[in-house]
Formats: sequence, C-alpha cells, structure tokens
Amino acid sequence: MSIDWITVIAQIANFLVLVWLLKRFLYKPILNGIDAREAEIARRMNEAGAAREKAEAAEQTFQTQTTRLQSERDAAVAEALKATESERDSLLAEARDRLAREQKEQQTQLERERRKFVARMQQAGTQTLVELTRKALHELADDTLEAATVRHVMAQLVTRADDLVRAAGSERTAVATTREPLPEPLQAQLRTAMGQHLPDFTLRFATDPDQSPGLVLQVGGAQLSWTVDSYAEALQALLDDRLPNAGSSRGGALHDR
Amino acid sequence: MQLTPDQDIVLRLGDFSLNATVVNTWIVMAVLVGGSLLVTRNLRPDVPPNRWRTLLETIVQMIQSQIGEITQTSARHVMYFAGTLFLFIALSNLLLVVPGFSPPTSSLSTTVALAISVLCAVPLFGIASGGLGRYLRHFIEPSVVMLPFNVISEFSRGISLAIRLYGNIMSGAVIAAILLGVAPFFFPVVMDMLGLLTGLIQAYIFAILATVYISSATAADPPSNAEDTP
Repeated sequence: MSIDWITVIAQIANFLVLVWLLKRFLYKPILNGIDAREAEIARRMNEAGAAREKAEAAEQTFQTQTTRLQSERDAAVAEALKATESERDSLLAEARDRLAREQKEQQTQLERERRKFVARMQQAGTQTLVELTRKALHELADDTLEAATVRHVMAQLVTRADDLVRAAGSERTAVATTREPLPEPLQAQLRTAMGQHLPDFTLRFATDPDQSPGLVLQVGGAQLSWTVDSYAEALQALLDDRLPNAGSSRGGALHDR
Repeated sequence: MQLTPDQDIVLRLGDFSLNATVVNTWIVMAVLVGGSLLVTRNLRPDVPPNRWRTLLETIVQMIQSQIGEITQTSARHVMYFAGTLFLFIALSNLLLVVPGFSPPTSSLSTTVALAISVLCAVPLFGIASGGLGRYLRHFIEPSVVMLPFNVISEFSRGISLAIRLYGNIMSGAVIAAILLGVAPFFFPVVMDMLGLLTGLIQAYIFAILATVYISSATAADPPSNAEDTP
C-alpha cells in the first residue's frame, strides 16, 4: 500500500475538473431546467387559474344573460299572446259586426225584394182580377165593368145621400174620378143620379192614370167609390191570412236565385 | 497481484508515465460528462422530460435533498462538491463489474486525493460562509486547550475518509480476485454483487461525511455524532 503523490495531485486536479464539468453540464442545466419547469408549471397554473376565473365569470355572465333572455322571451311571448288574443278578439268582434251588418243588409234586401214581389203580385192580381171581372160580367150579364161600377156607386149614392150632403158642408161640387175617361152614356147616368139625389151639386168628371180601375165620387170631405184596389187589398189580406209566408218564401226564393 | 492500479502503467512517454488510475478516472469522468451532455443537450422547459433526463433529475434532486437535510440550506456549491464526490465514487465502484477495469477508488492515491479535496474544501467553505476569523475560532472551542485536539480531529477526518474508502473498495477487488482463483464461476459473481452494494454505500457515506464536515464548518452549531457513521 503506497501513495503515489503525483497521482494524488493528478486525481485532485481531475476531481476539481470533474466538479467544474458536472457543474457546467449536469447540475446547472438540470436544476435550472427543474426551476424553469416549475416556473412554467406555476405560470401555467396561474394562467389556468386565471382562465378558470375568466371561464367562471363568462359562465356567470352567460347564465345571467340566459336568464335575462329567457325572461325577456317569456315576456315577449306573453305580450305576443296578449296582443294575439286582443287581435283575435278585435277580429272576431269585427267579423261579428260585419256578419251582423251583412245579415241586416241581407234582411233589408230580402224585405225589399219581398215587398217588390208582393207589389208585383198585387199588381198582377189586380190586373187579373179586373180582367176576370170584365170577362165574368161580359159573359154572365153582357155588361161592362165601368157600367157595373157606375151602378154600384149610384146605389151607394141612394143610401148615403144625406151623409154626403152633411159631409160636403158648403161645398157644392162633386168630382167623379176614373183611370180612363168614362164613356158618355155612363157619365149621363151618373149625372142623372146626382140630379135626383144631390140636386144642388155640380158634377165634374176627371181622370187619374195612377188611380186603380174603378170610380171615385168625391163630395167635399166624403166620397163614394168602388175600385179594384179595395178588392186587391182584400185579396192580399186573404192571401196573407192563408199563406202568411207566401211573400217571404217567394222573396226568399227570388233572393236565392 | 497488484493491490492498486497506480502500479499499472498504461502509457509511458520518456520520464512521464500514465498509470491506470488516472486513465480510469478519465474514463469515469468521460462517462459522467458525456452522459450529462447527451441528456441535457436539448433541455427546454416546454419539452417533456425523457426517461434519461428524468433519471438524472431524480439523482440530482435526491442529492440535493440529502444535502439539504444535512445543511438545512439550499447552498448549491456544497451540492456541486458533494454530489460530484458521490457520482464519481459511485460510478467508479459500479464499473468494478466491467472486466479488466480497475476502479480509481481502489487506489489509495485517489482516495487520498479525494480526502485532501474534502480537507481543503471544509475550511474553504467555512471561510467563505462565515469568514476566516470565525473558522479559526472553532479550533479553540470550547477552550484553547482543545486546539491540538481539534487540529488532530480535523486531519484524522481526512485520513479516516481516505482509508475507509480505499479499504472497502480495494478489499472488495482483492477478495474478488482471490475467489476468482479459488472458485472461478460462482463466488466472483456474488462478491461482485456485494461489491456493487458496498461501493454504492461507500459513495453515499463519503459524500455524506464530506457534507457533514462542510456543514459543521459553515453552520453555527455543528451537528454531533458525525463520526459515528460506519
């Protein structure tokens, strides 16, 4: 066992060199790397923490906005429903009004057409009545409607002469009105009857195209008459009694067409 | 039979001769530095560590942790010194298993050199830490009468370090060589395995003792029973 001092010195030098080399190439890089990695980890942890806080804040903001948007949406939906209901009620009311108005107009139109139909039917009935009366008088009594009318008025004149005088007061003119000019023989018969029963009165003949066929003797405020209108009105009353809805049904049928 | 590789001359140039101790030391140094260079050549914080870097980091952190537990500080310069002692001795002793390789630590010259390095490092660290006066003052503590004993204790530390390491490593190598002659296939393997364990333990003890000595020189209250360690 011996000590080689040259080797000792060389080994001391080697060891010192090794210390320097390992410090340079092992310890410092490793420890600095560890420190850097720990710093990097700490930095990333801080960044992660900051990101987490930011994400939580964003989540909170998102939830707040979601809640607000949901409440706004609910309010908007409720408002829209309310507006829709109001609009629906308005439209329904308007539709009901329009329907009622149209029904009223329809009823008015229906009534108007019914009246027109009744008037036409009355006119046709009157014309038919006149023609039938004329035909019946001609075939059964060889007489005319005008002559029969004059005789009927003359018969009334006999029975109501006193009433006519009282109703005439100071008036002394009597007017016989017909639709067509009365034939001269009939005028003479009527004038003769007036002379017999109302001698103080002057008879004047007149025509009225709007008047119904027949004769109207106007004496002051009273009158004696026979016109087809009275019969037509009686016919209409009869029809109304027996066929109360005839005019309406006819009018409705016309309206339906 | 050679008891020390100092006598094994590898290269001779005139009066200058290069023995196996120095050459093997250079081999150990090359392995350590080369391995460190390979592992740490691409060291970036954003690159995940590979297994070799993880191994080195584990070793360095283990050394740092052990030294930190003893010195109660995180002084890196102590770690550079004691860590290099551990790595050099450990690798030298581990290379004992390589056929034909004589560990430098089996040379008394190497262990003496390491002990001298520790003996020199202790006062240097102590002076650097607390100043020259404080370092010299601990030789006369607790009284001036203790001065020669403290001086003897200081030098005996180095001698014990050197002899302990040399004896353990050299004896292992010698016993392995003897058993190789007696039972060439079985006992050398067992003895080599035992030598590996002993080598690592000796490296650990040498580095720890060096750290304790440096720590006792730098700390206000030196730890007691430092010499009780095997």
